[in-house]
This record gives sequence, C-alpha cells and structure tokens, in this order.
Amino acid sequence: MRYIACHVFLLCVTYLSAQSSEFFINFQPTFEGEVVVYNEENRLEKDGDIQIETLKFYISNIELFNGDQLVFSEKDSYHLLDIESPESFSLDLNTPPKLSFTSIKFDVGVDSLTNVSGAFGGDLDPTNGMYWTWQSGYINFKLEGVATDCPARHNRFVYHIGGYEAPHRPLQTIELGIETDTEIAIEISMDKIFETINVAEQYHIMRPGEEALAFSKLFTSIFSISK
Amino acid sequence: MRIGITVLSIISFVLSVAFITDYYKLEYAEYFPEPLYNFEKNPLTTEKVTLGQALFYDPILSEDNTISCSSCHSPYNAFAHTDHDLSHGIRDSIGTRNAPALFNLAWHESFMWDGAINHLDMQSLAPISHPGEMGETIKNVVEKLQYKAIYPPLFLKAFGDSTVTGEHVLKALAQFQLTLVSDGAKYDAVKRGEVTFSPQEANGYALFQKHCNSCHTEPLFTNGQFANNGLPVDTTLNDYGRWIITKKSEDSLLFKVPTLRNLSYTFPYMHDGRFRKIRHVLNHYTEGIHLTSTTAKQLKENLELTSNEKTDLVAFLLTLDDKNFVFDQKHQYPKAILN
Ligand code: HEC
Ligand code: HEC
Repeated sequence: MRYIACHVFLLCVTYLSAQSSEFFINFQPTFEGEVVVYNEENRLEKDGDIQIETLKFYISNIELFNGDQLVFSEKDSYHLLDIESPESFSLDLNTPPKLSFTSIKFDVGVDSLTNVSGAFGGDLDPTNGMYWTWQSGYINFKLEGVATDCPARHNRFVYHIGGYEAPHRPLQTIELGIETDTEIAIEISMDKIFETINVAEQYHIMRPGEEALAFSKLFTSIFSISK
Repeated sequence: MRIGITVLSIISFVLSVAFITDYYKLEYAEYFPEPLYNFEKNPLTTEKVTLGQALFYDPILSEDNTISCSSCHSPYNAFAHTDHDLSHGIRDSIGTRNAPALFNLAWHESFMWDGAINHLDMQSLAPISHPGEMGETIKNVVEKLQYKAIYPPLFLKAFGDSTVTGEHVLKALAQFQLTLVSDGAKYDAVKRGEVTFSPQEANGYALFQKHCNSCHTEPLFTNGQFANNGLPVDTTLNDYGRWIITKKSEDSLLFKVPTLRNLSYTFPYMHDGRFRKIRHVLNHYTEGIHLTSTTAKQLKENLELTSNEKTDLVAFLLTLDDKNFVFDQKHQYPKAILN
C-alpha cells in the first residue's frame, strides 16, 4: 500500500514539475586546443607527452543571473562529471519558461556544509570514489594520468583536490557571461592546467593543504564559454 | 485540476510517510546534554537500526569476509577491543592505534583519536577502506550486499528501496551505533538519587572533580576536545595525533579526550593501548608526565595523589562501569538475521 501511495505522490510531483522549460549546458574538456574524447584504451585521445586517464569533478550550486539579479538557482545542485561517462558532461536545468539571463555561476567542488553533514546519495554517494576515507571530505576535482616527464612510479601523476576547512578551502566559484538561453557549451582547458603545473616537479597532490589550494586557483581560468 | 492534484499528492505523501516510519526513540539520561548528531537528516527507525546492526556484525564488509566491525569493537568490551593494544585486521594486520569503545556517539563532535572524521555517517568508510583493517571498498561492499539474499529485503524495509547504495549502508551503520547509549552505571543511579556513593567513592569523586573533570567532563566524561596529557611518544609508532590532520604545530601530540565510562571493559588504555590497568594510568598522571610545548596546562606538573587517594579515585572510576549496557542483549549479535 505504502508503495502505491509513494508512486501516486511521485507521479503528481513529476506532473507539476514537468511544466518547465530546459536549459542545457555541455561541458567540453579540451586539450591542445581540441575537444577531447574518451576512447577505449581508457585515455583521452592525444598523442604526446601527457595522457589524461581520469578526469572527474563536481559542478555544484548552479545559478543564473539577469544582470545582478539572481533569477534561478538549481535545487540539490550537485553534479559529478566523469570523463568515463561522457553523458555526465551534459546538464539540463529545469528552468521556468521564458526566463532571461545573462550570466551563469557555479562552484567547482562541494561546499563546506555538505562536507560536514554526513552521507548523501546520488552523485554525492561515496561509492563514486570522490570521498576521502582516512579523513573526512569530498575530493572536488580528480585528474590523473601519465606524463613522460613525470618522475613518479610508472610516470603517473595524481591530483586529488579537496578540503573544506579554512584556510585550505579550494572550492572555487566560476562566473561566465552568456548570450543564449537554450544551450551553452563551456570549454574546460586542460592546457591551462599543464601550463602552470609542471608534472616534472609537482605530480602528487592527495590531501587538503597549500598545494591543493594553489591548484584550485587554476579553475578560475580554465572554464570559458565556447563560441 | 491542478488543485485537485496538489491535494491528492499531499494526502498520498502523508499516507506514505505514515506507513513507512516506525520511529525509534533514543533514550538517554535527562542530565545528558542535547545530542550533536543531526537526527533530522537521518531519523532513527527500528528497521534502519536493525539493518545497521546486521551490517555491524557481518564480516561481508571486509575484503576476505573475515572481519566485521565487531571483530575490533566487541559488545562485551563496551565495543572496544580488549587485550589488543593495537587493532587487529584482515590477514592478521596490526594497526597503529587502539580500538576505542563505542557508545554515546551521538554526543561526539569528531571521531578517531585525531579527529580525522567529522561525522558518524562517514566514519565507517575508514575501517572498510583501510588496507590493514577491512581492506575493502564501499563500492564492492554495496555490490556484495546486493547479491546476499538477506540484504535487499532489509534495505527495502529500512529505506523503501531494495537497491543498496553507499549512502544507505553508511546511514544504517550510523543508526545502530547511535543506539549504543551508556547511562546505567552506579554513577548514574547516584545522579538519579537512587543510591549513594560509599565514603571512598565520594572521596574519589571529589578528587576526580578537582584533577580530571576539566577534560573528562561529566556526565559523558569527555569534553570532546583534544589534549596532550603528557604521554611520551612511542618511537616505534611516532604518532603525533591531531597534528597529522591539521599540520599545526600547536596540535602536535594532541589526542581526543576519551570517555572514562566502562573502563573495566575497555583496557588497555590510551591511543596506543600502552597501559593495561587503571592504576598504571594514575601512575602516569602522578609520575610520568612528559613535558613538551603542547602539554596541557593542567598537567604541566605531575599531579599529587597519595596511594590512598589513588585507591579512592579508582573506586570512583569503577562506578562508571555500566553492566546494563555491556550485557544488553539488544545490542548483541543479531542471531535472528545473520544466524
Ligand atoms: C581492524 C580493527 C577495526 C575494525 C574492523 C573496525 N574498527 Fe572502528 N576503530 C578501530 C580503531 C583502531 C579506531 C581508532 C582509529 C584512529 O583513531 O585512527 C577505530 C575507531 C572507530 C570509531 C571512532 C570512535 C571514536 O571515539 O572516535 C568508530 C565510530 C568506529 N571505529 C566504528 C567502526 C565501524 C562501524 C566499523 C565497521 C564498519 C569498524 N569500526 C571497524 C579499529 C577497527
Ligand atoms: C588536560 C586534559 C586531561 C586531564 C586533566 C586528564 N586527562 Fe585523562 N586523558 C586525556 C587525554 C587527551 C587522553 C588520551 C591520551 C592518548 O591516548 O594519547 C586521556 C586518557 C585517559 C585515560 C585512558 C582512557 C582510555 O579509554 O584509553 C584514562 C583512564 C584517563 N585519561 C584518566 C584520567 C584521570 C583519572 C584524570 C585525573 C587524574 C585525567 N585523566 C586527567 C586528557 C586529560
């Protein structure tokens, strides 16, 4: 009986919420100027000195603004984008009909409050491998791969960027101006990361601290609207 | 039309809530402070507690299905690990710390000797993933549980969904542990005005209030903070406690103040289990304080306690033993489910 009741309830909710329009965001990681595609060998397609094997990060707290005015903020806005499931790079927001907006704001990572509030499901479920186990806290951004110049074992570099306690709080907010109101593509430039981070010198960041914080500052420059 | 649907959905929501929940009321002494755990986000229900209890006692949580939470946290030791100074995990791995007793966890601000974990829900990830404890991943645990016949129905009863998720595993484990409340010791009976302390215990209580209560604060017998109580570093372990997490020099050698309830069941003592007897602990406070820049100010000098005073203090500490809790069938191996 209770399940039927639950279903009726859910149907009603779906009906009521179906009355909105949608705004699509496509995130596109680029490397050496080209959109990267995940291929079968578990690598980003690219020959050269650096190969990316894991790229996994949270986009959260998405808000739309019209000028200075907040016109939309997504509920339970936590999205895990994982290069291994390309569909996770497309988000659709259930915006109300006829909404106009001029800019978008989102965070790269998971806010401090969520970090101290226990277990969550869905994209925040710890089975996603984005939660540290020996010390509490979400990993905001994971980037791993191999680089010829990387002196680590098997040339592997590993960047796990996270932390929620001041002063090492690497949550970064990105703000971008937009011109359309149906669909946008947001480019994520991997080149900009490797221009600043030298894999020959800094190849392991796996805990909160100064290094993770410095790395996270790069996020503010790697996102841009693709034209 | 729209109004009709709204009304219908509200009614069905109320119905579904009314059917699902069989709330579990957490009982605790009226002189305990408000719990710190946020029960609104994870309200206790009988079904979830039952599921959590099964998980707590089931070795399926470890990589080779040999070690359960209760292997290191035994109910007969107030959920600590007696006799082992350091914890003992899969394939006979020896850990680096003593397994603490588990009770009154709803009042903990942080978990682990160094406070590495900020929330009881997330605590289980640490032993599950630790290569020397259970050596598993939460992802595999979820898969194994999905395929063990007893679990999908238990998850369905508890969460209205037979699909096992990491979130639900963690919340159920937290729920069972939250029900471990120890407030039935002689000390508590005295607080409730049912019995009185013997003269010796009363003298011990006065000494306790003078020397110990600032850290081991009544009625939980911990203030939940970190302190350096003057233990010299064990150079085979080089464990710097809270510093490992914060990397702040002022946190070097600070450990979480443990509760003093149920000491008779939880020996050996301290983060590395270095003392086997309460008397040895007292000797540490009177003769063994090792002074460093972070030693707590109350302990800058050895405490002065005569041999008789130590005996009285021990007599008081023994009034914190809670047999009712330790031998409560309710918390023990759930035979009916795991057989
Ligand atoms: C191999 C032994 C071992 C196993 C198995 C184990 N634990 Fe522990 N547990 C420990 C040790 C050791 C600590 C202290 C660790 C530290 O401080 O770094 C601890 C700490 C804890 C704490 C924190 C208590 C406090 O006062 O801060 C909780 C809660 C806990 N364990 C629950 C569990 C649960 C739930 C499981 C099963 C999922 C489990 N443990 C499995 C050894 C173990
Ligand atoms: C400055 C704070 C402070 C004071 C004062 C203090 N303690 Fe402690 N106590 C601690 C800390 C911190 C620990 C854990 C240390 C560790 O394991 O490294 C501890 C551990 C203990 C333990 C071991 C408990 C266990 O489960 O392992 C006992 C017993 C104990 N104290 C008794 C006492 C008594 C009795 C007094 C008063 C004579 C006292 N303490 C005074 C901070 C304090």
